[in-house]
Amino acid sequence: MKGLKKSVAFVMAMALTMATFTGCGAKSETATSQSEVSSDAKKTFTFGDTTFNAENEEANIDPHDTYCGWACIRYGIGETLFKFNDNMELEPWVAESFENVDELTWKIVIKDGVTFSNGKAVDAAAVKACIEDLVAVHERAAGDLAIDTIEADGQTLTIKTQTPKPTLMNYLCDPYGCVIDVEEGNADGIVVGTGPFVCTELVTSDHLNLVKNENYWNGEVKIDEAKVITISDGDTLALALQNGDIDAAYGMAYANYPLFENDEYTFTGTPTSRAFFCQMNYNSPVIKDDVVRKALAMGIDKEGFVNTLLNGYGYVGVGAFPDNFSFGGDVVTTESYDPEKAKTLLEEAGWVDTDGDGIREKDGQTLTIRWISYPSRQELPLLAESAQATLKDIGFDIQLNVTADHGTIVAEKDTWDVYAAAFVTCGIGDPMYFFTTHCLDDSSKNRGGYHSDEIQALADEMNATFDAGARGDIAVKMQQQILDDNAFIFCSFLRMSMITKANVTGLVAHPSDYYEFTADLDIN
Amino acid sequence: MKYSIKRIIQLIPILIAITFLSFAMMRLAGSDVVEQKMLNTGQVVSEAQLEAAKAELGLDKPFLVQYCVWLGNLLHGDMGVSYVSGKDVFETFISKLPATLFLTVTSILLTIVISIPLGIISAVYKNKFWDYLIRFISFIGNSMPNFFVSLVLMYLLGIRLGLFPIISKDMSITSVAMPTFTLAIAMSAKYLRQVRATVLDELSKDYIMGAKSRGVKFSVILWKSVMRESLVTIITLLALSIGSLLGGTAIVESIFMWDGVGKMAVDAINMRDYPIIQAYVMWMAIIYVTVNLITDLSYRLLDPRIRLEDARDE
Repeated sequence: MKGLKKSVAFVMAMALTMATFTGCGAKSETATSQSEVSSDAKKTFTFGDTTFNAENEEANIDPHDTYCGWACIRYGIGETLFKFNDNMELEPWVAESFENVDELTWKIVIKDGVTFSNGKAVDAAAVKACIEDLVAVHERAAGDLAIDTIEADGQTLTIKTQTPKPTLMNYLCDPYGCVIDVEEGNADGIVVGTGPFVCTELVTSDHLNLVKNENYWNGEVKIDEAKVITISDGDTLALALQNGDIDAAYGMAYANYPLFENDEYTFTGTPTSRAFFCQMNYNSPVIKDDVVRKALAMGIDKEGFVNTLLNGYGYVGVGAFPDNFSFGGDVVTTESYDPEKAKTLLEEAGWVDTDGDGIREKDGQTLTIRWISYPSRQELPLLAESAQATLKDIGFDIQLNVTADHGTIVAEKDTWDVYAAAFVTCGIGDPMYFFTTHCLDDSSKNRGGYHSDEIQALADEMNATFDAGARGDIAVKMQQQILDDNAFIFCSFLRMSMITKANVTGLVAHPSDYYEFTADLDIN
Repeated sequence: MKYSIKRIIQLIPILIAITFLSFAMMRLAGSDVVEQKMLNTGQVVSEAQLEAAKAELGLDKPFLVQYCVWLGNLLHGDMGVSYVSGKDVFETFISKLPATLFLTVTSILLTIVISIPLGIISAVYKNKFWDYLIRFISFIGNSMPNFFVSLVLMYLLGIRLGLFPIISKDMSITSVAMPTFTLAIAMSAKYLRQVRATVLDELSKDYIMGAKSRGVKFSVILWKSVMRESLVTIITLLALSIGSLLGGTAIVESIFMWDGVGKMAVDAINMRDYPIIQAYVMWMAIIYVTVNLITDLSYRLLDPRIRLEDARDE
C-alpha cells in the first residue's frame, strides 16, 4: 500500500508539473507578445469579422473575382473612381469628375497625384487596363457596365456603353470597381490597389494581414499594421472583443450587444438598405384577395418587432428604401399596424370565424397563410414568430416554415403564400435595382408573379431617365404603387453596427456597408 | 505482415463504398454549391447563368457520371479544386492537417495524464472519499457538452484570468491550451471511469490475491500486472478517440477558430463543396481503418494469448 501511495504521488506530481509548466509557458508567451508591441511602438489594429470567408464569395481580395471586391474595399486596399457619401450620393475619390457627354458616352477625369501602393501613378491608361480586365473576367460586372469601348488620354478616360446606362457611375462604385494595378497580377488573390493599406498575407476564411501604405496619396495612415480575423461563431466574437484579442468587431449578434453598452466600447451604426420584407404569392387563391393582403399589412407590428425583438437595433420600414435616401423613408405611405381595422375589413369581406376556433373562414376555406423564410439572417425567424403572434389575433392561421431549403419551396408556385426575405434594396445608390430584380414581369426574384401595368410603364420611364432627382421621383411612384397593391410589406431595415474598444477612432459604419478601414483609423 | 497487407487491401472496397455513399447523400441534400453561393451573397442571377455555372462545375451531369469522373481523376492523383475557394483540394487539406494533428496530440496526452492516475486512484480507493469525488467530477465532465465547456473556459481562463487568448492566433501552446482543455475534460471524464472499471475488474481476480499472499508489493502488482492487463481496454478507447480527433472536432475548432480539418469539413458541408467533402470522407476512412489496424497489432503485441489464438486459427 505504501508503494501504491508513492506511485500515485509520483503520477500526480508529474501531472502537476506538466500543468504548471503549461501555465508558465502561457503566461510567459503572453508577456512576450505584449512587450513586443510596446518595445517597437507599432500601432496594430485587429478586427474580427464574421463575413470575410469563401462562403460569402470573399475568398481573397481580388475585386475581379466574384464578391472579393468587398474585402478589397472594406479593408482599405482598393478604392473606386467615385464613392458614396452618407446620403448615398456620388462624390469624387480616385476620379475628380465625370461628364455624361451623350446617352452612351461618359468622360471621367482621374485625379492627379493618385498612386498605387507600389508607387506607380494612376492614369487613365491604368484604369482602362483595370476595367478591361474586370469586364473580361467578371460576368456580373460585364452585364452591369455593358461597356462598348474605353479610350485613355492622359488623365481622361472615355467610356462608351452598348446601351444607355444612366447608373454607370453608380455601378463603378460597386466594390468590383476598385482600381487595381493589373500589371502586378493577383498572386494568391492579393492585388495592389490605391488604398491606405497593403496586403502582406492572406489565408482564405482565416485571416488577412495588412501594413500601412507608405505611398498613400490621400494623407498619412495612422495605423502601422492591421489584421482581419474571420470569426464565424458569434459567442467567440463577443468574448474575443471582451478579452482584448480584437479591437473591433463586425457582425455581432444582437443578443451580445448589451455586453458592450458601457464606457469601454463604442458603437458605430448606420441604417442600411438591407430590408426585411414580405413578398406576396399572387398564385395563391387566398393572397389574390386584396383584403387579405391589406389585412396582412395591417397585422404586422413592425415597431414591436424592431423595438422588442431587435432590441431597437433596426429601423421600421415603410417603403423599399430607408429614410437616408431622398426617395426613401416616409415619402411614401402604407398601412400601419391596426389589428381592429384589419378585423373589420376581413369581416366585411366575408372572412369570419364560424366554428369558434379563432381562425377565419370563407366559402369553406380557412384563412391559412403558409409563411416561408430562412434562418441564415437572424432577424427573419424573429420576424416570422412576431407576425405569427400578431396575425393570429386577427384570425390568421400562420404556418411557419423557416428553412435553409426555402429556395426549393418558393420555386414551386403553389406551396407558399408569403415569403419573408432580406435584400439590399439600394446597394449602388440607385433605386432601380430593387424594382428590376423584384417587381417586373421578367424579374428573377418576382417569385410571386406580381404584375402591374403602372410599374412596367414607370420602369421603362426610369430606364430612359439620366437625372438622379427625376429617377428618385419615379422611384417614389413605383414604391407607392407596390405598397398600394400590398404586393410587398417592408417590415424593417438593418442597422449595421460595428463595436470597437473605446480607444479606437476612425472606424465609422457607412450606409453602403463598403467603407471600413481608412487612413483615419487609429488606436489612441 | 501478411495480416497487415490483408487489412490494407480491405481498405480499397471500404473507401469506394464510403465515397460512393457520401457522394450520393450529398446529392440528396437538395441544393448545390452554386445555389448556396447565390443565397449567401444575395446575388441575382438568371436561370441561364445558374445553369452555366453548374455546367462549368459539371453539376449538370447525371450523378453516376459525376462520381465516375471524380473517381477517375482521383486514381490519377487529382483530387480536384474546391468549388468555393478554387484552390487545390489536396493542398487545402494538407494545410489544415498540422493544426488538427497538434490538437490531437495535446488532447490525448492531457487525457492520459488526467484519466489514468485518477482512474487508478478511484479504483484503489473504491467507495471512499477520493472515489466519490472523482466520480462526481467525471459525472459533471460527462454531462457538459463541448460547446458549453468551451464557453466556460473562455470566460474563466480568457476573460477573468486573462491566461489564454480566446481565438487561436497560431500553433503555440498558448493558443492550443483552451481547445485542448475542452477536449481533454470530456474525454478524461469518460475514460477515468473506464480505467476505474478495468482496474477494479483486474483487482478482483484470483491472481491478485495470490500475488498479495506471496508478499508481492502492491505497487508492483498494480503496475506490472493490473496495468498491463488493463492496457488493452485503454488502448482501444484511446485509438477510437485518436480516430475521431484526427477527423477534427468541428465544434471546438469552430469556436476557438482553430483552423483544422473539422472546421474545414463543416464549412464544406454547408457550402456543398463536394471535392473537399470527398477528400475529408476518404481521410476519415483511412484514419479509422489504420487506427483499427494499429490497435489490432498492438493487442497482439501486448497480449500473448491473442497471438497464440491467431496462430492456432491460421
